[in-house]
This record gives sequence, structure tokens and C-alpha cells, in this order.
Amino acid sequence: MNSQTNLKIALILITAMALLSIAFKVKPVFDNYDTFNAQTAFKVNYNYFFKSEDQSTTVKTFIPKSNDRQRISKNKNVSDSTLYFEERALINGNKKAIWNTKKANTYHASNYEFIFEGKEKRYQIPVDFKKQPQVDEKYLMPSKNIQVEDDRISTLATQLAQGTQNDKERIKRLFDHVVSIPSAPIITLTDAVTTLEQNRASCNGKSRLFVALCRNLGYPARIKGGIILENINKRTSHVWAEVLMDTTWVPFDALNNHYAYIPSNYLEIYQGDEFLITHSSGIQFDYAYQIDALNHIPFLKLNSEEIRGLSSVSLWRLVEGNVIPQGALNLLLLLPVGGLLIAFLRNVVGVKTFGVFLPVLIAFSLLHTGFVSGLLLFIGLILLVGLVSYPFDKIGLLYTPKLVISLSIMVGIMILATMIGIRYNITWLTTLTFFPTIILTIAAERFSRATIEDGYKLALDKLFQTLLATTVCYGLLSWQALPSILIIFPECILLIIAMAMLLGRYIGIRWVEFYRFKPLLR
Amino acid sequence: MLSTIIPMKSHKKTKKVVGLNERNIKLIYPNNPKRYYPLADDKVLTKEILHQYDIPCAETYAVIEYNSDIKSAWEQCKTYDALAIKPVRGRGGGGIKILKKDTEGNWTSSGKIVTERQVFQHMAATIMGFYSLGSHDRVLIEECIEPDPFFDKIYPSGVPDFRIITLNQTPLMGMLRMPTDRSDGKANLHQNGVGIGIDMEKGTLTQVYDGTSYYNYHPDSKFVIKNLPIPYWEEIIKISVDTANAFPLNYLGVDIVIDKNKGPQIMEINVRPGLGIQLVNQQGLKETIEKTNHLREK
Repeated sequence: MNSQTNLKIALILITAMALLSIAFKVKPVFDNYDTFNAQTAFKVNYNYFFKSEDQSTTVKTFIPKSNDRQRISKNKNVSDSTLYFEERALINGNKKAIWNTKKANTYHASNYEFIFEGKEKRYQIPVDFKKQPQVDEKYLMPSKNIQVEDDRISTLATQLAQGTQNDKERIKRLFDHVVSIPSAPIITLTDAVTTLEQNRASCNGKSRLFVALCRNLGYPARIKGGIILENINKRTSHVWAEVLMDTTWVPFDALNNHYAYIPSNYLEIYQGDEFLITHSSGIQFDYAYQIDALNHIPFLKLNSEEIRGLSSVSLWRLVEGNVIPQGALNLLLLLPVGGLLIAFLRNVVGVKTFGVFLPVLIAFSLLHTGFVSGLLLFIGLILLVGLVSYPFDKIGLLYTPKLVISLSIMVGIMILATMIGIRYNITWLTTLTFFPTIILTIAAERFSRATIEDGYKLALDKLFQTLLATTVCYGLLSWQALPSILIIFPECILLIIAMAMLLGRYIGIRWVEFYRFKPLLR
Repeated sequence: MLSTIIPMKSHKKTKKVVGLNERNIKLIYPNNPKRYYPLADDKVLTKEILHQYDIPCAETYAVIEYNSDIKSAWEQCKTYDALAIKPVRGRGGGGIKILKKDTEGNWTSSGKIVTERQVFQHMAATIMGFYSLGSHDRVLIEECIEPDPFFDKIYPSGVPDFRIITLNQTPLMGMLRMPTDRSDGKANLHQNGVGIGIDMEKGTLTQVYDGTSYYNYHPDSKFVIKNLPIPYWEEIIKISVDTANAFPLNYLGVDIVIDKNKGPQIMEINVRPGLGIQLVNQQGLKETIEKTNHLREK
């Protein structure tokens, strides 16, 4: 009894402390709540170096604007004082930065920096598009590099459109065709016809061909330019295409196979078949894009220092210090949460699973592989390895060596599948290695033993329950704000311990037992 | 605090039924110290204690620890007409083989002739731990129980056994487990056997439960068992109490068979007895515990 009272006091103290600490942070967090909820954040620097000529020298570039999926902030120009700088909004919706100097024969460095916060966006394509009465003609007309009316373009477009029932199908056909053209790292400009002729192209050729095909069939389309942001310095920019559907411009990237989808790290800079940088002819010119990934909390309007200042009780320093990779830190923080969920499912609901943490780890792997294909892969792996180890069970091998055999088979299958995936370009097969091999092996082993001990029916039933627990876990873990919440409120781990202690003393009837003891409860 | 998660209405009704959580926390953890589990999990240790207290159990013919001992042990045992081969630390009846001599002197198991070589293989597999989750195990060869003729009229094949739950050396609840046509001679509820409830005070059978419905008769033979008195009931209760007293484990499932010649025998004891017995008797364990406490106070 005494130890129980002590336990209760300890529990209450832990909970009170954690709650108090959380309470101090709740207000500032709510005050700074950010509805934008960016998934990625980067600091981008355009760096230009040039030597001015005798006459007036100009360097121009497009600069990005905020929209519903990207937010541009803290943009500023840092250049030497001899440069005249101007930002200019153009009638076609683009925005330009212009540097100009009259000072001849001098070296200049100009720099334009801004913070990018972005979200991915997926678009639903309507089956048939409404005809827009006032579409700008230029989105349908041919241009120098987008030869809409060329015979070869017309023939291909007509051929692709054959047998299609609606607009959605036609767009899909055009896109799939352009995607299937082999990619090649061609830096020089490739026009639509050339892409078609040589059947190889990089982003600009593919985008132009796609736009040309769309326009040929009467769909307003345009080129979109920008940069794929990564945590490196780069010189390559990127272009993709947009098609007007009803009143929305829907993005298509035929190089990276993004169909009606734009990833969170795509920086949109300009629209139209333009050059990102233009400068006075004949000058010495060089450039680089310096891109740094920023640590950020999606739901907070605060920068790194402000988050650090929020409270001394937070894991933000760990994130800033880059001691642990973000992914590993997330897994670490999510494990207790997932574990608590599994404990709840097992002890309160009464779900039976292969292994305690298997559902958590599988759910975590599913975040990388995608839910449906990942789940199917997981079932496939367990069944396959379970079946392959079945004869070894029959022989009557000792437990540990048998486990080694299962593990080897598991590793073999994973490597083989990955190789096949790479060879034949089947993406979902290459994601197999995300699964925690050893845990999976033990689960497969348990499954094959369960088929012998309890029959395949009960074994499948338990596998099904494991999948159920995995699905529930996935639902929780796929909540993107969760790791950030745990980083700001690490006290939650204490609360989890307190809740686990309560769960540990829970003597109520499990939910499945309501069903089991139904005859008694009536 | 967490009980609020569960709908309150049904919570009241469930008061009498013990679930797995409550069994573990309230019955097993405080009553059965972990260090004494081997006394129940290891059939040889169990029998040693039973012998010390002169509690009847099947006669041991041999215990085999090493592969090299199989042959010599077999030479000793092959003179008997029937024997049971068991893994000492087996669970849930896995790896048990009953061998009987047919009229021509061949060994048979489940009606099929088995060679000595097959018997040796089975023993070797048992020693390797095939039936005991990876650990090295021993083989126990003991006399084969011939069920009392009492059971023949209810259901004529397989070995039926009684399960008596004792708490603090008091028998709480009991059931008789019987094989059926679908259970392949096994009496276990999970393996399609049936459970028959017992009126502990009168020593009579009450009802048959097959996992879904209740009957007054055995579903295969249709033999009515309701109010049928159990032979040797006093003795069954006595040896379960004796067994409970012999072990430092206060919450037990005692498994008892009735041999044709020797009467009630302890088969094995279980430190984590299942909860299905509540369904068979249509009574919650908590209700029984309350009643028993009440009787004691009187």
C-alpha cells in the first residue's frame, strides 16, 4: 500500500511538473501560430559576379513572389554601392531585379537573398475543363522554341489524343509520353521539335514539348521557371510546365514525373519561356545559387533564434546543433509515443501483435515508402519469409540458427527486390530497404511458428491485427506536426511515462473481452 | 482514471468478470512469485514436489536429458504396453505423444504404426527444444492414463481432464474438458474441445460450452450431463487443495485426470490459468471470490 501511495505521489508530481513547464510555453506558441504550415524552409542567395564594360552595364534576373504554396520573406539586396538596384513588377505577373552601373571596367558582386518557405501541392484534375472565354492568346500561340503548329508536333498530338474520352485522359497521355522520353543532362536550350526529333532532353526540352503538345490540342499551357531547393550551392535552375484547367494553373514536371503535383522544395520564380538571368552582352559574368536549408517549426512564425528563446526546456538546440540527423531525432521522439499507442491497443483494446515495437517501426517505415504500397510490401515480405522458413521449421532446427536463416533470406529478398527495382525502374520495389530488417525477420519467424502452433488461420488473424495496429500507428505518426510538438514540448515524454504507469496498473476489461465474455455480460 | 475510457454502462456489468489485465495484476503478480514459476513449468520438478507430499500423479518411467541416453531409457520403457512421451517444459500440450502397443506388438500413435526410429527422432527434437521455445529441454516418459469408464458414456475417446482454479489454497471454480469429434482427441477449448461447468458444492456437472453456445448434453454423443455427479469428487477437491498447499504459488490451475485403476491423478499445474473457465461456468471469477470470502467469514 505504501509503495502505491509513493507511486501515486511521484506520478502526480511528474505530471504537474510537466504540465507546468508546458503551460509556460503554450501562450507564446499560440501567439505565434502560423497558419501557413510550411514543410520546408530555405535561405536562398543569388550571387552574381561581373565586370562592367565601357558602357552602362545591366544584369537582370527574375525574383520570386509569395503565393498559396510558397512564402518569400526577408528579401533584400546586398550589393556594392556603385550598383543601382531596382525591383520591378512586370505586366505578365513576373517580378524582376535589375542591377545597373555606369562605372566602367570594374568588378562587381551583387547579391539578392530571401527566405523561402514552401509546401507541396497536389491538384485534382477535372475530367473535362470548362472553356475559358478570355484566355490570353499567348498561352495557345506558337513561339520560337515552342513550335505548336509544326507538322511533327501536330501528328504526335493527334496520335496521342486518339481514342481518349476526355480532357483528363488526353493530358495524361501527353504527359506520359513526354515522361517516357529518356532524360539527358543537356545544358543548352532544346526546343520542342528538337526534343521530339532526338528523343532525349533535359527539363527545358521536355517542358517545351509538353507545352507545345498541349497548346496544339487547344489547352492553354506555359513554361514555369524556378529552382529545386536543396541544401547545397548550385548553378542549375529548373523549368517545368503549367496547364490552365478551369481557372487554375496546374503544374507538370515531365522530367521528374510530377503529375499535377509540385513538391515542397520547388521555388517558383517566373512564368513564360524566358531566361532566368539576362545581362548586357559581352561582359564577364559568373553566378551561383547559395541555398541553405533552415531548421524551422512548421506551425510557428518564429525563426531559429526566436524558437531558442521560447524556453530553455526544448530540444531546439539539438536540432540547431545538427548533432543528430533530423530523421533520427524524429524517430527517437516518436518511438515513445508510438509505444504508448501500442500499449493502449494491446492492454486496453486487446489487439494482439507480433512484437511490441514492430507496428511502430513499420509505421515509421511506411512514412518513407508510402502507405498502401508499403503495407503490401510488408505483408509480402512477412508471408514470403514465413513460407520460405516453413520447411526449416519442419526439419526441426534450433531456434537461433533458424532465425539466422530467416534473417539471411530476408536480407536476400530485400537486396534482390531492390536490384530488380533499380534494373527495371520500379520505384516501389527500391523502398524495401527502409524496413527494419531484424525486427521484420523476428516477426516473420513468429508468423511461421504461429502457422505451425496455432494453424494458419490464427496466424493470419494475428498478422491482420498487427497490420491494424500498424495502421493506427501510421495515422498518428503521419501527423506532420507531431515531431515539432515534441521538440518544443519535450515534457510530453514525461507525460508518456506517467500515462504508461497508469496503463500498467489498468485492470479494466479489454475491449475485445467484451466480445469474448459476451455470454457472461448479457 | 483510465476506466473512464470504457463506456460506463458496460463497466458496471463487467465487475464480476476478470479480464486478462486484472488477472495479471490482481491474481498472478501478487500471488505467484516469478522465481517459483519453474516449479509449475517444469513437469519433473512438479512431480518431485507432488511425490514429496504423496499426492497421486502418473508414474514416471524415465527422464531423458541427453541424446545419448535415449536408447538405454527406451530399453527400460519398451516393456510397458502404453506410455506418454512429453517435453518437460512443453506448453499448451505441444509435443505430447501417446504410444500404445497393438495386438502384434507394434507401437502405435493416434492409430498409426510408428517405428522406434520415429520415436527416437521425436525425443531428439524434444531435447533440442523444438517444443519449448528455443531452450534445451528434457523428455519425460510416464505411464499412460486410462480414463475412468465414467467418461465413456459422455464421449468415448481421448483423455478428458478437470481444471480446478485455486486461490489461497481454496478451490474457486472448476471445469471438465472433453474432446469432441472435431478436436482430434484433444480436450483443449482452443482446439475445439468442449468445457463442462461444475457445481463445486454438489460436485455435479452443469452445462456444456463449445465456444459459442451452451447445452445440457455433449454435442456429439447427446448424452445429458446436467446434474450428473462426478466420481471421486471429494478426492479431486482434496488433491487440488493438497497440491495448492504443496507449492509456494497461491493462484493455480490444477489439471486432474481420473485413471481407470488409480483414480484422480494430478497431470500438471499452471501458473497462468486461462479465463475461459468463467464462460464455461457462466460466472465471473470476481463473483466467486466474493462468495468464497463470504463463506470463509461465516
